[in-house]
Amino acid sequence: MRSTRFWVLIVAAVLAVSLLAAAVVRLASPGGSVAEITVDGQVVERIDLDRVTEGYTFTVEDEWGSNTIQVEPGRIRVLEADCPDQVCVRQGWISDEVTPIVCLPHRLVIQVSGGTDAGVDALS
Amino acid sequence: MNIRRITRMALLTAIALTIFVAEAQIPAPVPIYGVKLGLANIVTVWAVFLLGPADAAMILLARVVLGSLITGQMMALMYSLGGGLLCLCAMIPLRKVLTDRQIWVCSVAGAVFHNIGQILVAIAITRTPSLVVYLPVLLVSGVITGLFTGLCAQFLHERMRKLLRL
Repeated sequence: MRSTRFWVLIVAAVLAVSLLAAAVVRLASPGGSVAEITVDGQVVERIDLDRVTEGYTFTVEDEWGSNTIQVEPGRIRVLEADCPDQVCVRQGWISDEVTPIVCLPHRLVIQVSGGTDAGVDALS
Repeated sequence: MNIRRITRMALLTAIALTIFVAEAQIPAPVPIYGVKLGLANIVTVWAVFLLGPADAAMILLARVVLGSLITGQMMALMYSLGGGLLCLCAMIPLRKVLTDRQIWVCSVAGAVFHNIGQILVAIAITRTPSLVVYLPVLLVSGVITGLFTGLCAQFLHERMRKLLRL
């Protein structure tokens, strides 16, 4: 049996490493922000959020349902979805890669990355 | 399986389910998939510690399946199952090296592995491996919520011990 102090240190270490990793993800993202919308692993739409000058909405439909996506300069969100849980809608706007939007029922993912394809691989 | 054991498991499942359904009614402060308090895990952690792996697994499974049916979120069932099973896999061996003053550690480990399980399920279903960048955020949330539910379980245990004579 280890002392409680040992476990406190372990928990603190896990927390510190996660915080650090979250910070690295945020800081290491190169400038620029490209939103990539994938359905079932296939890229269906790529939008350079920095080049968007005027907001617009569009709808992504797949065999599992539909999501209406709203784009504004520098940010993106799911405006409407016909899924029961509405988590993707309530998540609201995203503009960085720290918290991607996932609509699990529709297998839809919106991720913002630094624009180059190296984005994630460069980190890992 | 004696009646006393069945009754105890049924009671705990009912408690966990009630907590789960009640928590589902509260809008999440951070509406991100996977970020929530997970108060029902108080029961799971407590069961792992005081009733053993088999009972805890049965309570968890019953709660997860019934909880998804009641809240009508069958997709959440996939998350909960993936997360819940991995969480148990972490807590059961850990339980052996912890004293009953360290229940909260078990809960933190459980929460962290629960989040890892959720990410794996999300990656498998959406076929988007790059979702792994999301893991650090979930882990931070897991440590904090795990600590909270763990301390709940800890205090609960200290007060219930005399009551239940376990």
